[in-house]
Formats: sequence, structure tokens, C-alpha cells
Amino acid sequence: MDRQRIQDNFIDYQAGKLPAHESAKIRELLKTSLDCQREWADLQKTLIALDKLPEPEPSPRLRANFNLWLEEAQAELDAPSPFTLARSRIDSFFAALLPSRPALQFALTVVVLILGVVAGTRLLPTAEPQIIVQTDPATQQELADLRAQMESMNRVVSTQLLAQPASNRLQGVIAALNEGEANDRTLARLLNTLAFDPSVNVRLTALEALYAHVDLAPVRAGVLNALPRESSPLVQVAMIDFVVASRDDGAEAALDSLTRNPATNDVVREAARRGLVRLGAS
Amino acid sequence: MDETSDHDLMLAVRAGELGRLGDLFERHHRPLYGFLARLIGDRDAAEDLVQIVFQRILKYRHTYRDEGKFSAWMYHLARRVAADHYRRSARQGDATDPADFDRVSDDGARHAGETAAKRDDLDVMQNALACLPTEQREILILHRFQHLPHQDIARLLNISTGAAKVRVHRALAALRDRFFQLSGRSASA
Repeated sequence: MDRQRIQDNFIDYQAGKLPAHESAKIRELLKTSLDCQREWADLQKTLIALDKLPEPEPSPRLRANFNLWLEEAQAELDAPSPFTLARSRIDSFFAALLPSRPALQFALTVVVLILGVVAGTRLLPTAEPQIIVQTDPATQQELADLRAQMESMNRVVSTQLLAQPASNRLQGVIAALNEGEANDRTLARLLNTLAFDPSVNVRLTALEALYAHVDLAPVRAGVLNALPRESSPLVQVAMIDFVVASRDDGAEAALDSLTRNPATNDVVREAARRGLVRLGAS
Repeated sequence: MDETSDHDLMLAVRAGELGRLGDLFERHHRPLYGFLARLIGDRDAAEDLVQIVFQRILKYRHTYRDEGKFSAWMYHLARRVAADHYRRSARQGDATDPADFDRVSDDGARHAGETAAKRDDLDVMQNALACLPTEQREILILHRFQHLPHQDIARLLNISTGAAKVRVHRALAALRDRFFQLSGRSASA
């Protein structure tokens, strides 16, 4: 055993914690080795001096301070939080305000509920459809004039067109078709027929009559205006042919608008596309 | 006498019975004070540190584990409080750092050796202990004065039991050498 090991074992030996065979070995060394005897003596002296050191004693201040602090900590723990305090005050307020008997509390609740419903139905505004009001007087006047003109024109056209049978109206258009030089009144009547006549045949005949006057800008403009409003795909396709043939400046835009409109009939859309191709190729 | 164990008292404190902390204080404040006073070498400061340890026991009561041993946990907190004290003292320039103990020891060794013959062994031992590095002084205090078994010391220092045993022995050897050096006598070695 080296010296360090011996010293380490001295402490366990003294404490009686060494196995029997190691204790016997140290006992033997202590009998025979002078160095071990000195080592043992030094250790004993050191341990005796160490164990004799007085235990430091705290002053009474320590206990007093601790007790004071503990009281404060206890008080802090027992003190209700601000939230709890506020809630208890609110509870106390309502406890003082409301009746204590459950039957009376229930009755009071019902009364308050009824009062609330009545007040709500009387005081709250009822939901009404929202009306957009034009605040600009000039715009309002303009809209009223336009509405009046439209109604007037509808009445006139309807009266003129519907007052006579379709065959008579067709005859009138054919007569215009045969006129060599149509005046403005005749052209206006043809355009009105194209736009408003309820018969597809009459409108197609009117359009055919207008072919002779395609070089006139008002005629081209009238057909272009009637094109998006036309309800019959058959007439619309015929109008597209007219528009392409007219080479009017607004033709391309009108046909393009038709192709982009999702409500356009597929046949009409295809005819418009072909018309655009023809316009572009020319 | 109250037979309630430290563990049960601490569980009560953890459950909110702060008054039981007073019982723990009565049981442990003296040895705890002895540990801290010997460790930092300042009796007044040690009283403050004892109070801080109990404040931390209350503050961290929810971290106390059911399987834990109260004294080991308390000394664990005490060591951290002492470490905070060392750091605070170092910042303020009046450090009681282990290095300072070594320096004081080396500077005063000759003077101590000259006068040691006139002093009794207890004074010399007091100085010898104070001159040890903090780690060795701490482990000796835990072992010889606080009577913690090697297993608890090992858990406290986060080392193996064997390593704790060796460190105790090494610290004791260093103390013996310092003790005889300050006594003006040479050890047998």
C-alpha cells in the first residue's frame, strides 16, 4: 500500500468502515512501521483539533429576522389577490341589491327579461333594406329624364309594332327594302324594328334591308348597339356578319366584347371569333 | 417534541403551510449557520445567507421532490447562496474568494509559523481551515461538521461516492499539512 492509500484508509479504519482484511493489514502496519505510526499520530492530532473547533453560534437577530420575514410571507400569502378582492366586492354589491329568497330572485329575473325584450323591440331600429340615394340633384334629374324617355319610346314602339300583325310589319319592312333611296325616317324605322320587333323573322328582314345602307355611319352604329341586346342567336349571328361586312371602327371592340361575355351563346361566341379573325385578316 | 420528519414538514410547506417552515428553521438554522459561517468566514454575512436560504426554500418549495432528502436539498440551496455571495463580494471588491485564502495563507505563513508556538491548537486549526481552498474547506465542513455521509456529499457535488470519499481524504491531508505548517512543526511526512 502506498502512503496516500494508507492515509485514505486511516480515516475509514478509524471510522470502522474498512473490510476486516484491510483493517488487519493496517493494524499490522501500525505495529511495525514507524512512518505509519507518525502518520497516524499526525492524523489523530489534526482530527482532534478539527473536531474541537467551536460551533459558530448565530446571534438572536437571526431568529428574530426570520420570524419577522415569515410573518410577512404568511400575511402576503393570506392576502387576497386584487382580482379576488374586486370580485368579492361585486358579489357583496349584488347580494345587497338582490332579494335573498330564490323565488323572488327568479321573479325579478323574469321581470327584467320581459322589460329587456319590450325595450329592445321598441327602441332598437328594425332592419330595412338599404336604399342607395343619389345625393347629386343633377344626376337624379338626368336619370329621371332618361327613364322617362325610355318609357316613352317603349310605349311608341310597342304601340306601333304590336298594334299590327307580324305579317303587316314584315310587309312594311319589305317595302323599305325595295326603296331605292331610303330617307332618315325609313332608316330609323328599320333600326327600331331591328331593335324592338318581337318577331325574329321581322328583325332578320329589317337587318337585310339595312345591308343596302351599310355605308351610313348611323346605320352601322344602330346595328352595333342592337347587337349585344339581341336575344336570338340566329339574329345575332346575322348581325355579326353585317358588322364584319361594315368594317366599322367599333366592330372589333363589339365582337371582342361578345367573346368575353360569359352569357353569350356558344354559337354566337364562335361566330364573333370568326368575325374577329376576318377583321384581322383584312 | 415534534416527531414529524423534515420531509413531511417540507411537504406541508410545499402544500402552503408556511408555519411549518418555522419548524424546519428551528431544526436546521444552527448547523446551516455553522456551514455558511465556516465556509465564507464572515459571521454577520452568514446570518443573512441563512435567511436567504430559507427564503429560497419557500420560493422554490414547488420544486421539492417527494423522494428528495430535505437536508441535501437545503445544502444544495445553501451552496448556491454562498456562490452568489462570492460573486457579489468579488464585484464589490471585498471578495472572500478561495484564491484570497491561498494568498493570505502564503503571505502569512512565515509570520504564522513564528507565532504559532504561542497559540493553542484550536486557533491554528481555525486558520488552517480558513486557508484551505474553498472546495476542500467545503467538503471537510460537510463531512466533519455537518456529518453528511459520502453518498449525500456525492449527490450534492454531483460526483460519484468514491470520488467524494477521495476528495474528503485529500482535503484532510491538505488540512493536516497546513495545520502543521502553521504550527511551526513539520508533519511526519
